Amino acid sequence: MALRMWASSTANALKLSSSASKSHLLPAFSISRCFSSVLEGLKYANSHEWVKHEGSVATIGISDHAQDHLGEVVFVELPEEKSSVSKEKNFGAVESVKATSEIISPISGEVIEVNTKLADSPGLINSSPYEEGWMIKVKPSNPAELESLMGPKEYTKFCEEEDAAH
Amino acid sequence: MIMDDLQKMRSPRTLEVWKLGTVNYLKSLKLEDKLVSDRKANRIPDTLLSLQHPPTYTLGKRRTDHNLLIPEAELKGLGAELHYTQRGGDITFHGPHHAILYPIISLRSIGIGARNYVETLERSMIEFASVYRVKARAGHKGETGVWVGDRKIGAIGVRISSGITSHGLAFNIDPDLKYFEHIVPCGIADKEVTSLRRETDTMLLHSEEMMMLCGRKILHSFWTTRRRSIKTNSPSGLTRFNPV
Repeated sequence: MALRMWASSTANALKLSSSASKSHLLPAFSISRCFSSVLEGLKYANSHEWVKHEGSVATIGISDHAQDHLGEVVFVELPEEKSSVSKEKNFGAVESVKATSEIISPISGEVIEVNTKLADSPGLINSSPYEEGWMIKVKPSNPAELESLMGPKEYTKFCEEEDAAH
Repeated sequence: MIMDDLQKMRSPRTLEVWKLGTVNYLKSLKLEDKLVSDRKANRIPDTLLSLQHPPTYTLGKRRTDHNLLIPEAELKGLGAELHYTQRGGDITFHGPHHAILYPIISLRSIGIGARNYVETLERSMIEFASVYRVKARAGHKGETGVWVGDRKIGAIGVRISSGITSHGLAFNIDPDLKYFEHIVPCGIADKEVTSLRRETDTMLLHSEEMMMLCGRKILHSFWTTRRRSIKTNSPSGLTRFNPV
């Protein structure tokens, strides 16, 4: 059922996208590639950022769904180490296809590490959104905030509903 | 809760169109900031600003001022201003007879992302150009914008903040192309800039009408393909924002 819904929302999107899009040339067996991947073990915000909480460190990045909707990332702006981030406030921006999009922090805390590789290789966000494309590591100031984020199943459903909304 | 959702689905999507004439760049930035905040809070519907700027050079978030080929002081001598912005994209010029459209819309409520939005803006400009029998195309990879052959006729630079768009597109109807000689337009060297005036023999309408036509193309691209109706208004409260 979910597969049919996703396929039909993808079909709708393809009708609307320009002929430059190569999605419609993908053979049927690659349809699964059109599904953005959602990783287990992560929490997700409705602004499409993910959080991986390990002990006292939370790593934050943007999801596969987000990078797919952005297009090729050409520039990333991230905060400094030791600065603080707040839940639902923006902490940086990515530029893709002449659009700068803000990145919203899913949790509050202190930035303890920033992914400096993204300065020279912003495309890591597209090719490896959950691993090499991580953006910042934060010491959460209020771990309870993680409870209000979505789990993988909830987030998958959220993405499907958002894409079907048009 | 279900009834609210059904109500939302049934009510037609409204786009308010504001025809602002010539507006100083900083004033338009302030207006956009306010409208983005209002749209985010759902105090206003999706809004489209249609305007022109006095001679103005702008840079995007990456601050690529190496693409400005003359000192800033000389720009002032030309009667132009320079502004740094938060939008995507490189350096560009806006001036009289340069149609500017800034859609302030909620991408989340139409369920599309940055790439799809930018492609729609490109498509709108291509369709607009075709009205004048000018065959335009979207840019190749890394050259976002609208081109006639190897000559750039339309530029895009967008900011998305909490899912609400600002800035937008600029289409060269009949600007003074000499202003572009002082920059590497959009950071793409060795490519010309052109205008509708240069590319067509068809008589051009007055700027205002041209811009409304361009705006209508955007509406078509976004809304009619989704079978939603459009209401366009020019609000009578325009005088609160005094254009220069």
